[in-house]
Amino acid sequence: MAEPRDRANKRKEKAEKRMRLVQAFKQAPWRIHARYVGLFLLTLVVVLVVASIYLSISGMAANAGLDAYRLDLKRLDLEREIAHRKATLALITSAPAMEERALSMGFEKIAPEDALYLTVPGYTGRGTMVVAPPPGINDSSRQLVRSIYRESLWDWLFTGINSLGSGILGDGS
Amino acid sequence: MKKKGFTRYHFLGIFLSAFAIVIAVQMVRIQTSTHAEYLDDWAKDYGYELRTIESERGYIYDRYGHLLAGNKEVYEVGIELQFVRNPATIASTLADVLKLDYQKVFEAAQTEYVPGKQVYITLTDFVQANQVRNLSELKTQYENNNPYGDNPELPSLRGLTWTAHLQRIYPEGNLAANILGFFTYYDREGGAGYFGVEEKYNTLLAGVKRNVMIPLDPYEMQEIPTAPAGASLVLTIDREIQRTVEEILDNAVKNNGAAGGTIIVMNPNNGEIMAMASNPRLDPNAYWENTTVFPAGVPYNKAVNQVYEPGSIFKILTMAAALDAGVVTPETPFTDTGQIEVGGWTIYNWDRGAWGNQNMIGCMQHSLNVCLSWVATQLGPTQFYDYLDRFGIGHRTNIDLAGEEVYPLSVPGDPMWYTVNLATNSFGQGVAVTPVQLLMAASSIANEGQMVAPHVLKSYIQDGQQFDTTPQVVGIPITADTAKTLTDMLAISLEEEASDALVEGYRVAGKTGTAEIAVNGQYSSNKTNASFVGWGPIDDPQFIVFVWLEKPSSSIWGSVVAAPVFRDVVQEIVVLMNLPPDEIRISMKED
Repeated sequence: MAEPRDRANKRKEKAEKRMRLVQAFKQAPWRIHARYVGLFLLTLVVVLVVASIYLSISGMAANAGLDAYRLDLKRLDLEREIAHRKATLALITSAPAMEERALSMGFEKIAPEDALYLTVPGYTGRGTMVVAPPPGINDSSRQLVRSIYRESLWDWLFTGINSLGSGILGDGS
Repeated sequence: MKKKGFTRYHFLGIFLSAFAIVIAVQMVRIQTSTHAEYLDDWAKDYGYELRTIESERGYIYDRYGHLLAGNKEVYEVGIELQFVRNPATIASTLADVLKLDYQKVFEAAQTEYVPGKQVYITLTDFVQANQVRNLSELKTQYENNNPYGDNPELPSLRGLTWTAHLQRIYPEGNLAANILGFFTYYDREGGAGYFGVEEKYNTLLAGVKRNVMIPLDPYEMQEIPTAPAGASLVLTIDREIQRTVEEILDNAVKNNGAAGGTIIVMNPNNGEIMAMASNPRLDPNAYWENTTVFPAGVPYNKAVNQVYEPGSIFKILTMAAALDAGVVTPETPFTDTGQIEVGGWTIYNWDRGAWGNQNMIGCMQHSLNVCLSWVATQLGPTQFYDYLDRFGIGHRTNIDLAGEEVYPLSVPGDPMWYTVNLATNSFGQGVAVTPVQLLMAASSIANEGQMVAPHVLKSYIQDGQQFDTTPQVVGIPITADTAKTLTDMLAISLEEEASDALVEGYRVAGKTGTAEIAVNGQYSSNKTNASFVGWGPIDDPQFIVFVWLEKPSSSIWGSVVAAPVFRDVVQEIVVLMNLPPDEIRISMKED
C-alpha cells in the first residue's frame, strides 16, 4: 500500500516544483522589465502613428490651403486676361477696323438698288445674341464644391449611418 | 540580497523626465508670457490680407453680340522701397519707357524705407500692357546680369513693381456714345456710370465691391470670398444701323449747317430702338472731354435729354385724335380762308396763304395750321387733351436711358393755358416734347393703334443666365382702323406732294415738321427745328424713323432738310434689315 502513496507524493512534488519554476520564470526581473519596455514601445508606436497621421493630414490641409490661395490668384489673372482678350478682339473687329480691312481687300459697299433678294427656305433671319441659357434651364446656384469635400468625418459617418438606416428601414412610402 | 544602487538607467530616466518637464514649463511660459501677447497681435496684423474684392464691370453688347463696352488690362506702377537697389536705373527706365519725369521718379525711389509706415510709392497708373511687357523684359535682363542687384555699378530694377487692374474701354469709339454714356474709370475708388445705359444700369453693371480679410494661415483658408461679375447688357441697338445712321446724321448736320440733330430708328411693333444717333457725340474712352464737347446747354443725348417744340409733325396726333373720335374723315371738306380766330387770336398758315377747298388729306399734305386748328376746335379741348394724354404727351416714356426730360402739358384749368393754346397746340406750338416721346406717340399709328414703350435693353446676363426683357404696350390711344386710315392719308400726302422722303420700292408714310424757335419770347422765322417722322412699309411697318435737325441754315423747312435725311436712312436700313422692296416682299409672301 505504501508504493502508490509514494508515487502520488512524488507526482505532487513534481507538480509543485514545476509551479515554482513557472512562478520564478514569471517573476524574473528581466521579464518584468521586458513587459514594461513592451508596453512603452506599444504606446510609443501608437503615439507615433497618430502623430504621423495628424502631421500628414495637417500637411495636406496646409498644402490645399496654399493651393486654394494660389488658384484664386490665378483665377483673378485669368479673368483679367479673358476681359483683355475680349476687348482686344472687339477692337480688331470694330466697325471702322472691319470697314478698312474690307476696303483694302477690294470689297465695295453695295448700293441699295443693287441688292438681290432671295428666298431661303427655313431661314428666319439673323438671330440676336444668346450667350447664356434663360432662367430655369440650369441651376447656377448649386454648390460648386461637392459635399464630400465640405463635411467632417463625423458628418460623413452620420450621413452614412442615416442613409444605411433609411435603406434598411425604407422611407415609409 | 544584493541592494541595487543608483544605476545609469535611473540617471537617464531622471534626465529625460527633467527634459520633458522643462519642455512643458517652457510651453506654458510661452503661452502666458508678455511675448505671447505680442505674438498674438503680430498674428492679427499679418495673419490676414485685406483684399478689396471688386466685380468686373459688366459688358455691353449690341443685339448681335458686338462688344460696345468692355474692360482691358492696365497696370499701376510703383516702388517697393525695401527692395530698391538702384534708384537711377528705375528713374531712367521709366523716363524712357513711360515718359515719366526722371527727377520725380529718382526722388521717389530714394525715399527711405520705414517698415509699416513707408513701404510703397505709386508712380503712375493706367499703364498699357505692352509697356509693362517692356519693363518686365528689362527687369529680367538686369536681374540676370546683376542678381539681387548686389552690384551697385550695374543696373537693377529691383523694387519696381506693377499691379494689374481693369479699365473700361469702348472698342467702337464714339459709336452709340449717346446711348452708352461713359464710366469714369480714372476714379478707381468712386468711378461711376454717367449718362445713357452706363448711368441707368450702373448698379446692375457694377456688381459688388467690398473689403474682405483673407487668412494667410493655410489652415484657415477654407473659402476665399469672390465677387461675381456685374451683369452684362445686350442692347437692342444694331451696330451697323447705328453706324450708318450716325454717318447720315453727321453729314446732314454738316451739309445743312445745323447746330445739331438726332435720328432714331425704332421697331414700332415692340419698341426696340435699333439706332439712336445724336450730334454732337463724345468718345467715351476720353470722357473727360465731356465739358468741351457738351458746353452748357448742350444735352448729352438730344433724343431724350432735350425737349423742343415739334411744330407740324405734331399734326399727326391732332389728326389721329380727330379721326378716332369720329369728328372728321379723310374726305371731310374744309375751305381754307388762310386764317381762323381762336380765343381772340388769329391763326395763319405757315405761308400766310389761303389754300381754298381741301379735304383732310390736303390739310395734312399742305400742313395747314388753319385747318388743324379748326379740327382741334371740332374736337374740343376736353377730347383733344384727353387724346394727347393718351399719346403720352406731358409724360416721360420711361425709356431706359438716363436723364429723360419732360415738359408738362398745359391743359384747360392750368394758369398758363388759354383758349388759343388749343389751336397752337394742334400744330405743335406751345407744346414741347422729346424726340423719343414723339416717336412713341407716332408708333401707335404705325402699330395698329398700340403704343409701345421705347427701350434699348434687349436682355441682360447675370449669374450665368440670360434674362430677356418683355416689350410693353403702354397704351392704345387710337383704334387699329384709325391708325390704318391715317397711315394711308400720310402715304398719299407724301406721294401727291412728291416728297423728298419717298423711297423707291418702298411705300412709306410720314410727316414733316418745321417749328420756329422762340428767341426772347418771339418766334424767329429764320431759326427753326426741322423734323420728320415716318414709317414703313405701310402694309407691315418694320421701322419708324424720327429725324430732327436743329437750326439748319441751308433751309429752314423740314421738307427740304429733314425729309431727304429720312429717305437716306430708309434706303440704307432696308438693306441692313434684309427688307426687300414691297413688290418682291409681297410676291415672296404669295409664294
